[in-house]
Amino acid sequence: MKNKKRDKELLKGRNFFEGIKFWHKQIAELGDLKSKLKRNKAESKKLPQKIQNQVEIRTVSERMIIKQLHQEIEQRKKMERVAQDVRNYAESIINTVREPLIALDQDLRVVYVSRSFYDVFKVKPEETVGQLIYDLGNKQWDIPKLRELLETILPKKTTFDNYEVEHDFSTIGRRIMLLNARQIERGMGKERIILLAIEDITERKGIEAGLEKTRKELEVIKKSADEVSEFSESVINTVREPLISLDKDLRVVTVSRSFYEFFKVKPEETVGQLIYDLGNKQWDIPKLRELLETILPQKTTFDNYEVEHDFATIGRRIMLLNARQIERVLGKERIILLAIEDITERRKIEKGLEKAHEELQGLAAELKRATRAKSEFLANMSHELRTPLNSINGFSEILYDETFGSLNEKQKKYVEYVLTSGKHLLLLINQILDMSKVEAGKMKLTLSSLPMKSLLNDISLLVADMVSKKKLQMLLEIAEDLPNIEGDELKVKEVLYNLLSNAIKFTPDGGKIGMRAKKADAKIEIEVWDTGVGIASENMGKIFEGFFRVDTPYSRVTEGTGLGLPLSKKLVELHGGKFFVESEGLNKGIQVRFTLPIISRKVV
Amino acid sequence: MGKRALIVDDNGNNLMLEKDLLEVAGFEVLVAQDASSGIAIARKEKPDIVIMDVRLPDMRGSEAAKILRQDKETGNIPIVFVTASVMESELKEAKTIANSGFIGKPINTRTFVTEINQFIKG
Repeated sequence: MKNKKRDKELLKGRNFFEGIKFWHKQIAELGDLKSKLKRNKAESKKLPQKIQNQVEIRTVSERMIIKQLHQEIEQRKKMERVAQDVRNYAESIINTVREPLIALDQDLRVVYVSRSFYDVFKVKPEETVGQLIYDLGNKQWDIPKLRELLETILPKKTTFDNYEVEHDFSTIGRRIMLLNARQIERGMGKERIILLAIEDITERKGIEAGLEKTRKELEVIKKSADEVSEFSESVINTVREPLISLDKDLRVVTVSRSFYEFFKVKPEETVGQLIYDLGNKQWDIPKLRELLETILPQKTTFDNYEVEHDFATIGRRIMLLNARQIERVLGKERIILLAIEDITERRKIEKGLEKAHEELQGLAAELKRATRAKSEFLANMSHELRTPLNSINGFSEILYDETFGSLNEKQKKYVEYVLTSGKHLLLLINQILDMSKVEAGKMKLTLSSLPMKSLLNDISLLVADMVSKKKLQMLLEIAEDLPNIEGDELKVKEVLYNLLSNAIKFTPDGGKIGMRAKKADAKIEIEVWDTGVGIASENMGKIFEGFFRVDTPYSRVTEGTGLGLPLSKKLVELHGGKFFVESEGLNKGIQVRFTLPIISRKVV
Repeated sequence: MGKRALIVDDNGNNLMLEKDLLEVAGFEVLVAQDASSGIAIARKEKPDIVIMDVRLPDMRGSEAAKILRQDKETGNIPIVFVTASVMESELKEAKTIANSGFIGKPINTRTFVTEINQFIKG
């Protein structure tokens, strides 16, 4: 029965019963035909025979009708077979399309459902056909939008296309369905059939959304690629170094601004040109050809190739060439990026520097030789001066001591002057020699542990005689916790003696001098001060220059060498200490402060 | 019981100064102005001490000292080098000789004899 009904649908109005009706009508027409025939027969045959044959004719007619009926039945069967074929064909189409298809009658009851519908919506045929569409699969199709489509839009428009319905289906979850419908008016009768195609576009939507996203991303990438290329272009135009990019045929693609400026060429005579042809073929350089045609294809890059060439526009220059062969991501084209640096000036400077360096080295060697000669000279001079001084000082000492007989007062006084001058000369020689030794870095310290408290006291006793002679007051402030230090005893004593004798020398009779010593972290700090002539601020810078002498009524040329302070500073620094001289000005006295590390750092 | 000293120095003034100082102190003093005659006198006289300049006209004082050290009879005589030199190399030279000392020039006339006596005792 179901099939019949289906046939009925598929035959589009040519159903059996209507066929019968049709044939009834035909039979009625046959009656007319019969009378017509009778008339024709009467015309063609003799009347008596006409009557005689009446029954026979009727029988024949009836037979014909029956025959025709049989034929009709045959035809119907044939048509049924055709219909079957058509039905099979349509069915196979319906079942072949992946898209779920459903056919509804005018009451929106399911007439037919494609196999894919069952598959997609996980329903069974027996619970589908004949059901109201909304009731399908636990009423999961009762979707307001679908109702609107089927009940409002379709009757008016007979068709709707691509209506999207998003719905939470109980069997398959939230899906987006694309609905297409056709309302088919049947040829006979007033029945309508609604063919509804349902396409699940959830995945497609997902893909589309993905595609959209990808498209947007691509846009962003494209934008950033544009930015990158803009950026690289601006880089190319910003770098001072001329840059040129070539295609695989070594024709110029782009050129940096600096290239134009540097080689004095114009864009219109550059881009698209073979590199060798640029600016009157001035770039046709064998070395460049070798680089671009031989080396680059093999290595894809070369760095710092020097090319010296006589350029028509800019003269003889040395160029430093760097190249990269860049494989473009899209397409197979290669681009060669060539950076050209003019190192002519740099070379000149380098050569100048090299020369200067050589000269400097020569000078340094010369200086070394001179320094050595100087210290050798000083050593020799010292030796040569000491030998006569040995006699001068020695004999005057013997005379002064009256070893071989007494002298009168004047003789004794004069011998004393000779002796004093001889000793001064000896001090001068020794200090000059020491200064030159320190300056030549040849002064060596002989380190030992120095008991500073007793050393300072010894020194003060050594000068006590001079102090009392000038009626000076000497104040000693030596901290109880003053530690022993590591130092060269003779040199530390020399520094202290120099400073104290200076203090005595430059302080007027009845003045004060003093010495303070204390521990300060890893050092000791010693200060020798006086209330003497001090140093005018404008002379402060000169006191370490050597041979600087303060001309005062208290000190005469014979006293002091002018080397004591600079030598003391150097000896302190040799120990790794610091040396300061402070004076508030002329006649304000002086404070000489210096430090000595407790543990020597062995400054060379 | 006077001690005998040999002074070897090419500078006559120095020779005289040192001789005076030692003679005042009771020394018998022998003198030589070059190394070879100094060595000859030392071998012959066998002094209690040799006072020698580092720079001598015919050889270095240290070389003369080595020669004296090789000789059995002069090998134990203390040697004092007297020099005006401040060069490290010359000081080192003196230090290579056993039983020797060093006095720098100019000499201190007031301590010279004491220093010499210390070397003889040592």
